[in-house]
Amino acid sequence: MSETGSKAIVTVPAVAVIDEIRDEIEDVKTFYFSFEDPDVARSFRVRSGQFIMCTVFGAGEFAVSLPFSPENDRPHLSVRQVGKVTRALHELRPGDKIGVRGPFGNGFPFEDIKGKNVIYVAGGIGLIPLRSSIVHVLQHRKDFGRILLIYGSKTAKELMYRYMIDEWRKTEGFETYFTIDNPEPGWDGHVGFVHTLVAPASIPVKETVAFVCGPPLMFNAVIKELNKAGLKDEAIVSTLERHMKCGIGKCQHCAIGRTLVCTDGPVYTYKQIKTLGEQI
Amino acid sequence: MHILPKADLRRLTGALAERHALYGPVRHEVSGEVIFDLAAGPSEIDLDIPIPYNPPKGVVFPQAERIMSFSCDRASKAVTVEPAPLAAPKALVGLRPCDLNGLLCLDRFMLGQEYVDEVFLEHRKKMFIVSNTCVHPFPQCFCACTDSGPAAVEGFDLDLTDIGGEYLVLTGSAKGGELVRGLGLAEAPAAKAALRAKAVEASVALFDAQAKDNKAWISRAVNRITTGFIPHEVWEYIGDQCFECGACAFVCPSCSCFNIEDFKEGEGRSARERAWDSCSFEGYARMAGDHNPRKAVEDRRNKRFFCKLSFSQSRKYLRPGCVGCGRCVRVCPGDIGLPNVVTAIRRETTKQVPHE
Amino acid sequence: MIYKTGICNFCGTGCGHLMKVGEGTVKGVFASPGHPVGAGRLCVRGWHIHELLATRERITRAQVRKDGALRDVPLDEAIALAADRLAAFPPEAVAFRASPRASNEDNYLLGKLARAVFGTNNIDLASDAGHGHTVDVLLESGGLPAALASVADIREAGSLLVLGIDITRQNPILGSELHKAARRGARLVTLSSRRTQIAKLSGTHLQNRPGSMRIVLAAMAKVLLEEGLVDRASTGERTAGFDGFARALDGLDMGRLAGLTGLDLEAVRSTARALAGPEAAVAVFASGISGLDRETIAMAHNLFLLAGKAGRKGSGLLAATGISNIAGSWDMGATPRFLPGYFKAGDAAAADRFGRLWSAGLNGKPGRTVEELLSSSPAALKALVVAEHDEGLIRHAEALAALDLVVFVGAYDNPFTRFAHIVLPAATYAEADGTYTNTERRIQLNRKKVEPGPDILPAWRIWTAIAAKRGVAWPAKTASDVMKEIAAAVPAYSAVTYEKLEKGFGLQWPCDEGHPKGCPHPGELPGRLSFAAVSDRFTAPAPTDEYPFLLTAGTDNTFWHTNVIMKKTHIPRREYNALLLLYPQGLVEISAEDAARIGVRDKRPVKVVSASGSMQVAAKVSTDVRPGTAYVPYFIGDMITGFLDAHGSLLEGGEESVVPVRIEKV
Repeated sequence: MSETGSKAIVTVPAVAVIDEIRDEIEDVKTFYFSFEDPDVARSFRVRSGQFIMCTVFGAGEFAVSLPFSPENDRPHLSVRQVGKVTRALHELRPGDKIGVRGPFGNGFPFEDIKGKNVIYVAGGIGLIPLRSSIVHVLQHRKDFGRILLIYGSKTAKELMYRYMIDEWRKTEGFETYFTIDNPEPGWDGHVGFVHTLVAPASIPVKETVAFVCGPPLMFNAVIKELNKAGLKDEAIVSTLERHMKCGIGKCQHCAIGRTLVCTDGPVYTYKQIKTLGEQI
Repeated sequence: MHILPKADLRRLTGALAERHALYGPVRHEVSGEVIFDLAAGPSEIDLDIPIPYNPPKGVVFPQAERIMSFSCDRASKAVTVEPAPLAAPKALVGLRPCDLNGLLCLDRFMLGQEYVDEVFLEHRKKMFIVSNTCVHPFPQCFCACTDSGPAAVEGFDLDLTDIGGEYLVLTGSAKGGELVRGLGLAEAPAAKAALRAKAVEASVALFDAQAKDNKAWISRAVNRITTGFIPHEVWEYIGDQCFECGACAFVCPSCSCFNIEDFKEGEGRSARERAWDSCSFEGYARMAGDHNPRKAVEDRRNKRFFCKLSFSQSRKYLRPGCVGCGRCVRVCPGDIGLPNVVTAIRRETTKQVPHE
Repeated sequence: MIYKTGICNFCGTGCGHLMKVGEGTVKGVFASPGHPVGAGRLCVRGWHIHELLATRERITRAQVRKDGALRDVPLDEAIALAADRLAAFPPEAVAFRASPRASNEDNYLLGKLARAVFGTNNIDLASDAGHGHTVDVLLESGGLPAALASVADIREAGSLLVLGIDITRQNPILGSELHKAARRGARLVTLSSRRTQIAKLSGTHLQNRPGSMRIVLAAMAKVLLEEGLVDRASTGERTAGFDGFARALDGLDMGRLAGLTGLDLEAVRSTARALAGPEAAVAVFASGISGLDRETIAMAHNLFLLAGKAGRKGSGLLAATGISNIAGSWDMGATPRFLPGYFKAGDAAAADRFGRLWSAGLNGKPGRTVEELLSSSPAALKALVVAEHDEGLIRHAEALAALDLVVFVGAYDNPFTRFAHIVLPAATYAEADGTYTNTERRIQLNRKKVEPGPDILPAWRIWTAIAAKRGVAWPAKTASDVMKEIAAAVPAYSAVTYEKLEKGFGLQWPCDEGHPKGCPHPGELPGRLSFAAVSDRFTAPAPTDEYPFLLTAGTDNTFWHTNVIMKKTHIPRREYNALLLLYPQGLVEISAEDAARIGVRDKRPVKVVSASGSMQVAAKVSTDVRPGTAYVPYFIGDMITGFLDAHGSLLEGGEESVVPVRIEKV
């Protein structure tokens, strides 16, 4: 079986080596990897917002959004252990192998947002799929207007990528707003759910796009606030998670409304999401 | 068009069997039932028996199949990925037009979208297809209402029409023509060739007696489902009767949802298999963690009928997903085969109470 | 030909299937359209039986525990060791637990092994409690100890009654017959405390308070008496015990009916009247793992007799067996109380008959069940042989661990082997010839489809090998030979042969000289029927201030028998897990009214407290239970299983069992 259609690795996973593993927050680790086959490494090109199917040999395969930027970034995955396969991934050590199919999915609409203000709103590990976009936008700082990150989690130690965020904040004009659900010792920042930060951030509305990612309850509350501030549904972009199995639009596990998340998504505008007619 | 005396069918199947694994309708040795199965020999295939109980899709899309194996060496950490061995060429003989249309739906969906399903392609390529015109409909049939029979239009290498004592042989491809020449079949005189159209016409006329309102309403149901003008109560009425067995998807010639699982096979060895799945299952759309976007059974039923009858899905198949074979009627424990669903939609549309 | 005919081995419905076989393994399954029961249908379990049969999680080698761990040994050595060690205990200290999924041949020879080789009647069947009640009531009242109605009768009946059973989950294809009959115009009434799917599909749902079904049935009988709707024949010469039954009903005060059952008297009346009509009637209830109690079955039998629906063609009770061969296993005598063919264990003439058949002196005392033996104090049991495994035994973990010898014989990996000293690998039912008797007495032959591994034997061959090690050579060389022995031992099977079975879709017993092709309508057989003795006391569990909820337990589609088996499949296992994902801590189903009163929402934690224990689970707010009623699917989570096990005695009554509880917000 050979590659067909796009450049993606469609059927037979390419073997990759885990070079380094980094503990992020509890239950979340980042796995830096490189392909065994140099040809694959050369041809493996991702767009921000895409996902791959990752095989943990002997355990299974799962879909995971790519956090790394297409440019100047080491290939890696940040994965929370939630099921059998991700638990098996967490048991791997540097030098162990994984299988990779993809990249799949549509990716974020970068061409459309040049010159605009960009707002990132994330809850918990919802920051992972937004990371590639943030890195890309910050690298091209001059092409964009205001850049905001509104980010919250249950507790302070569940905030993802804090060390990276510290790096990102060195970029001029990168505005960050953090919150945690409940007060805790050592936290002197905002307390409350993520959507309560939207108003204090006095977000731009015109020529603005918002990327929102997080658990369904948070997502719905944030959308409401963004709408209230004046942001239109088509200016709100999210990436949906579904139970993807094949990644190539065949198995239909990720069918949502009339679309398949793996090929028509995973990135949708909120306007599109509303027409899907299902819970997100 | 050519002529194949019925007694010579074995010559045709015999010639195909030389280079293909031969599949077709066969009568089961013990139960007497008609199964689409691997034939024990060229004479086992019987084109006079009713439409097989199982759709032929299992030949290109098996109920469960291994698609690759992995082996990992613990010491060296080396990993080998081995795709499943290539499938042998297959000949499908005696395909009914509905089933051929189902196969074409699968082709367009599995091969014709953004990505090619390479596993399906492996099964599908090097295939020889001989279709068989339904000169009379079977009791459960409604292909006349779904534009998928009683005669095949495309997708065959050869097409047979029983005109009593002999078959008219229509050639649909170069390799079909080659076989006709190889068998030395006689050209059909024009008068005989015209009998195919006559046979089809006569068969269509027979549908009047059995494809009554529920089946004939299919095109209007397509409109309703596409536009979404179906009250939730209709889906609830249907969902209440769903036993969640999955049978409708398994017997449907065009249903192709599948599941993928990896299995351990001993130290360092594992295999990836894919198997039929059904959107009627609660766990089908579930996600890691606690979130099931399509929990209620009526939502899941809705999904299936959307797939079979909506225009947007038809665009992927280049025809409606339902091919009118009627198998879902026979296997459904809940009595909600597709025609009954159309009935429920019709009742609602004609403002009758959907509950009995 | 890749597809081979066979019989589904999950529930007792016994649907026919076509199994796809290739490369030495099972690769798929399809429903068999011509089969008289399934008629082209299978349920979610049946559609995935190939996943179970192809599982890699198999026991493939004989093992013996050495230094605390099970180690592979040659099969012959393990069999010899099992035989020698079992023989070292006195007969009353040895017990055998048969599997209700095993074939008639397996269980007939297991019984012979227990009785003729090891001299004990201590043999019983996993998950069968309810079926024993069915057998008792029907034997007592003169009928056959099995369903008098056939599945085909449902298709003809005008009146259909579902007693409790969540039948579209437990025996889905029987449920399908009921649903389709209702669609064709039959009157379908479900009497059940929970709004099950079949209740939703029924013309009438009598949603009684849990534990009051017997009273509802009694009230229906009383309506027939009061309104003169009693079938004349049923009080005439062919029956006995009418007066006693009528007297017992005197004890029921119809004025208290609503209070006891939560049902409106008028609804009960109209159901009773319809039942007494001229059309054939069939009542379906669960027999087996969570079946009905004796008193409720007796009342249902009496009601049917009164209404003229017992002993009549096309009518009768249909005890739906939850597991493939519960019925056949009873026929084969996998019970301490009966020898094969329902000859009483402990009866001298019966012992003599089988002593001659088996060339052995038999133990004259009836045996005890494994549960009785394990819970007796001081410990009565020393050695136990378990075929496959039943999760019910786990509640006796301590007693199991204290046994001197546990022999486990099974096909699939099983956590129960942690108790085993000797493990013997058995063939799956696709790897051996065998017959299985379904819920309507249909004896069906399932042929071997694939070869078992080198060390794997059909269970009946393992029993034969153990007997041989004890110096007893059994003559049967094939499963067909075993059936010849069965035919000689069990009168109702006396004309059954593999040659006949092979040509069709099974034979419904009695299949004897008078009925060489079996008997689909045994209700027509001559013989005297009698009313079963019933209690004249009519009380039902009632909520109290301290425990205002009546809690019941039940099962589901994808949880079935020992879930060890279902967990070896992929799709049914995923479906089971889907529910767990929504309610990972387990659930208790309560009404919206009660949820509002307690102050909880769906998926919020609650504490369920009874007089003898408590558990914390999530509330599932549902319209399927009435206020004051709570329901737990007993399979979810160890916590619920543990909680329910602590109420073992309360739950012995099966489906109609009730645990009074209170439910608190956490």
